[in-house]
Amino acid sequence: MIAASALRLCGAGYGQVALYDGALLHMTAFDNVSPEGVEALRRRFPAPADHGSAMGRAIHSGAVVQIPDVLADPAYAFKSEIQTMGFRSLLVVPMLAKDGPIGAIAVGRAGCGPFPESQIELLKTFADQAVIAVENTRLFQELQARNRDLTALREVGRAVSSTLDLRVVLKTIVDRAVALAGTDAGAIFYYRPEVARFELGETAGIDQEFIIRLRNFDIVAKDSGLGEAIAQRKPLLISDLTKRQSNPLRAAVIEAGFRAALIVPLLSSDGPLGALVLQRRQPGEFPQTVVTLMESFADQSAIALENARLFEEIARKSRELEIASQHKSQFVANMSHELRTPLAAMLGYAELLKDGTFGELPEKSIRILERVQANGKHLLGLINTVLDISKIESGQFKLNLGEYSLDSMIETVRVATESLASAKKLSLRTDVAEDLPYGHGDEPRLTQVLLNLVGNAIKFTDAGEVCIAAGTKSGSFVISVSDTGPGIPYEERERIFDKFHQVDGTSTKTKGGTGLGLAIAKDIIEMHGGRIWVESIVGRGSTFRLELPVRTQTSRAAA
Amino acid sequence: MTHRILVVEDQEDLREIARFALEGAGYEVVEAASGVEGIAKAERERPDLVLMDIQLPVLDGYECTRRIKALPGMARTAVIAVSSFAMKGDEEKARAAGCDAYVTKPYSPKQLLGIIRQFLAKA
Repeated sequence: MIAASALRLCGAGYGQVALYDGALLHMTAFDNVSPEGVEALRRRFPAPADHGSAMGRAIHSGAVVQIPDVLADPAYAFKSEIQTMGFRSLLVVPMLAKDGPIGAIAVGRAGCGPFPESQIELLKTFADQAVIAVENTRLFQELQARNRDLTALREVGRAVSSTLDLRVVLKTIVDRAVALAGTDAGAIFYYRPEVARFELGETAGIDQEFIIRLRNFDIVAKDSGLGEAIAQRKPLLISDLTKRQSNPLRAAVIEAGFRAALIVPLLSSDGPLGALVLQRRQPGEFPQTVVTLMESFADQSAIALENARLFEEIARKSRELEIASQHKSQFVANMSHELRTPLAAMLGYAELLKDGTFGELPEKSIRILERVQANGKHLLGLINTVLDISKIESGQFKLNLGEYSLDSMIETVRVATESLASAKKLSLRTDVAEDLPYGHGDEPRLTQVLLNLVGNAIKFTDAGEVCIAAGTKSGSFVISVSDTGPGIPYEERERIFDKFHQVDGTSTKTKGGTGLGLAIAKDIIEMHGGRIWVESIVGRGSTFRLELPVRTQTSRAAA
Repeated sequence: MTHRILVVEDQEDLREIARFALEGAGYEVVEAASGVEGIAKAERERPDLVLMDIQLPVLDGYECTRRIKALPGMARTAVIAVSSFAMKGDEEKARAAGCDAYVTKPYSPKQLLGIIRQFLAKA
């Protein structure tokens, strides 16, 4: 297009643009040239930029060159071509970029003689425009290439960060590397430091047969280019494999049709991890841009390998921890069970003694035996709590569903806690709706929950009353246990259902308890498909509320 | 007529407590310290009811219950399982083995007597 415009503007017979690569002139465009002329030019280009051509002279001098009569110029080497085209005089303006000449524009005329100054100026302006156009094109292409590299790197980066499947990541890297570097094949080799050998990993462009051959190779690090690259910690460029010292692997690679190789080491802070290898069927150098890009790919591969290794380690650690935790839960479960056997004997004997099985005892002895029993039962309660938690944690906790009467359950709880309440001079009240339906759930577990709530209420309340209320509301029992105790601060209301949590350390010390009761209660109620929460005003008291399906479904209980 | 109760329990203390409680309530007690002994005594002594510990070494309580129930004329004899396991599915396993009731350790001798009385009244 430039040639055509130049021609038109100069009123010349022909126009031609050539680009200069630092050594040769390449024909890029011409206008108004006969087919024979084109043919003649094609035979001579690319041509050296020497004194034999007007373009060569313009490139070297950096100035406008005129040849008023080509036939009269002894050094001019294109006489026959220019005559074929039918021209005698030439005007050439060099295209000068910041870093030097990048080409030249030539126009020719049939007649002899110098070109007018106006035309020269015009062509110079044109050459400047052309330089800008060519530079823009070059920049655009560079930008495109850079963009393409960045896109590939981004893709690789994404593969590295989005998948922990090492093989997928490395395959992506090899594929992208081969495509971008424009080589015929590529592969990643893993380095095995313990045996100082390499092992073939992912490949691209390598046929199955050769892959199998490569896998069977004993690649000793010190005898291979791979080893050389990791030893020197930098890329190894082999422009012609046949010119290197032969080794079995190299011989096989050459036999498979490859002539050039680029080996980039994969390095981590802990040492070499492997190498990224690109292979080409044609011998020759690898451009610096490709080497740089491949180094980025190698870095990404090293990161992927490191990630995979770390992930493996974490996975292994967490498996170990899980097993350790299971062992712990099992141990706690076994231990609690073992603790109960001697305790059962102690409680059994105490009851037999107290009941006069071995003869009447003095009143004082009976009171002492009652203390033994009470403490034994407390210890048993603690052991059972720990056992429950360990069962919940090891997934062995299960509900045994059956019919129950909430009415009598509450009565059982009232009777069981009555003495505790009267010992603290608290009134223990129940407010149960009439005609409650029969429930379906795990009666002993639900009783345990109520006992825990009422026990807590009595334990933490020093004056006033504790009330157990029950009714129904849309298919659920609504049960509440309220007290006139100190209340629970707002920020504690969720946390009191956490394991091992009590409102504060001081109350734990004075009131005792494991801090597990409410956590277990919450588990039990939720396994029934219900929920438990607390409402409280500090200084006025607390109300624990339960919403419990009248009929618990089996599927929920099994969860 | 005095009912005869077989107590299969490997822990000597617990066996003794059961014996004191049961004898105190007027029952005749036959003791067995292992599953094998329990089956032999069940066959020989023809108890009216069996208290069966589940966690017995060698032959566990489930297996003993199955074998005792398989003895001629013993299929309808009540077997009360006694277990300190209270683990997932224990009660189901006990019922599947033929146990008629399931009691967790430690039990109160009084409670246990109550359950025994119910079963013997039915028989």
